[in-house]
Amino acid sequence: MNAIPQLLFDALSLGGIYAMAALGIALIFGVMKLVNFAHGEYIAFCVFALIVPSTDAVAVMFLGKAPAILLIPMLLLIGAVVAVASEFFVFRHVRNATPVAMMISSFALGFVIQNTLLLIYSSRPKAVSLWPELNQPVSIIGASIPLLQIIVIFTTLLVVVTLALLLKRTRIGLEMRAAAENFTMARLLGVRANVVITGAFALSGALAAAVALIMVTQTGVADIRMGGQIMLVAFIATVIGGLGSLPGAVAAGFLIGAASVILQGFLPLEARPFRDAFLYTLVIVSLLLRPDGLFAPRSTKPRV
Amino acid sequence: MSKLGIFDVAVRYGKVPALSDVSFTVEEGERLFISGPNGAGKSSLLKAICGAAPTSHGRIEVDGDVLNGRSPEAIARLGLTMVPEGREIFGTLTVEENLRVGTGIRRDKAAIETDIEGVYESFPILGERRHANAGALSGGQQQMLAIGRGLMTNPKLMLVDEPSLGLAPNIVDQVYETLVNLQDDRGLTLIIVEQSSARAARVGGRMVLLRGGTVVGDGDAAKFAESDLLKEAYFGQDQSEEAT
Ligand SMILES: Nc1ncnc2c1ncn2[C@@H]1O[C@H](COP(=O)(O)OP(=O)(O)OP(=O)(O)O)[C@@H](O)[C@H]1O
Ligand SMILES: [Mg+2]
Repeated sequence: MNAIPQLLFDALSLGGIYAMAALGIALIFGVMKLVNFAHGEYIAFCVFALIVPSTDAVAVMFLGKAPAILLIPMLLLIGAVVAVASEFFVFRHVRNATPVAMMISSFALGFVIQNTLLLIYSSRPKAVSLWPELNQPVSIIGASIPLLQIIVIFTTLLVVVTLALLLKRTRIGLEMRAAAENFTMARLLGVRANVVITGAFALSGALAAAVALIMVTQTGVADIRMGGQIMLVAFIATVIGGLGSLPGAVAAGFLIGAASVILQGFLPLEARPFRDAFLYTLVIVSLLLRPDGLFAPRSTKPRV
Repeated sequence: MSKLGIFDVAVRYGKVPALSDVSFTVEEGERLFISGPNGAGKSSLLKAICGAAPTSHGRIEVDGDVLNGRSPEAIARLGLTMVPEGREIFGTLTVEENLRVGTGIRRDKAAIETDIEGVYESFPILGERRHANAGALSGGQQQMLAIGRGLMTNPKLMLVDEPSLGLAPNIVDQVYETLVNLQDDRGLTLIIVEQSSARAARVGGRMVLLRGGTVVGDGDAAKFAESDLLKEAYFGQDQSEEAT
């Protein structure tokens, strides 16, 4: 009945998840010219950090048992720590390598994280019940919307605004923006490369944790593969948004979310199983028309 | 002790040598021009000093501290700042944000705001456009911003690579006037890459002449302006702005 508001909320909440994941990738690309394919695995890692290590099909909550006020900051911290550690142990050592070599090392790291999770939790998806009450519908402008969707939309807004303020108003934000534009020049002015890069990884990891929380609440499963799927969409969003552009990543994330929901809603029934084929066709068309992305920043010259 | 010491320095890019056997010292408060034809290694020398290019041989010292192997951000903390060729301003940042990037290394946080006002006094146009994106400034304004940005690190030694590049002669006059004033006010040691020996002679100072990556002359800029050595260094092709 109230299909339009329903679609709008679907599009905004899905787009919000994509936007946050894309931001996590764009932040690191900005300062390091690294496309971090391990980002999806940070998300999976955070999901599994919620449950007790075991190979059973039904998950027993571990960190997930903590009250939200503790759980949320702790998971954000875990995401940040995992990302910072991966920079310290892996990416720092390939910082001066070619972009391709850096990208491959991120694939390798992703596999290591994924296989570690596989070993501990087995490959079977697990039912996880985190905050099930959030999936209860509430009535808004005549549509029946799960409360979680509204929370997701507000969370995205909050994240985007916080990040924008952090980048615009703080010292580390200024240094990150300068480094993203011209890393060598920033260093010549005394900006510490390690501080900026560590900061970008910490933010990126916290974003991955936020995405993990939303995904697990929404789907009710913990699946080793969930990181890879969202990583693909998020990567496409950063490319369409113009690699390195943060506003571009957010806009493209919402765009892909919206396109995906609209296709789902309006494609003829028999074509719906092929929704992703249509979606990726749109992506290809967009890249053919604007190879540098829809929102390419003036001064970024992507090296990949 | 000299402010800056360059001892037998070599720089290479892969197998291509850009500098070799370069040695000279610079005293505190001195003004030194580095000149020579295109590809002589002038920029490579400045990059080696500020840590942007690694040396393959030799030693560079500031106040007796060896710089080799230190990161650019560590070298900046020793009171050395670089105004690079092509200005390299941050085009997506505002004018004022550009000025603030280099203030993170300062201990005297209280003086930062007065110093920013000081830069705006030296370059009023920057003050007028403080909230504008730096990418929208003209070439001359960007050069002024690059110098102001370097000053905001509160340096003792300032390296300036071809400040006259691509600027109209009257703007170049203005840039040099400010550089000289700043040097006098702050007791800066100033090293400037300048292809025009006539310009260097007019501003006054010492000159080191490079050719093919080595030092081929060292002396008063005024004497160089007329000497055969300079013509020889340029292989007869005069690249000074006055000739064009
Ligand atoms: N990044 C680089 N990679 C490879 N070779 C380089 C690089 N930078 C400079 N060179 C080479 O090193 C030599 C010295 O270059 P450099 O830029 O230092 O000269 P320059 O005197 O500053 O020239 P110009 O007047 O054109 O600015 C040149 O032969 C140049 O081609
Ligand atoms: Mg040069």
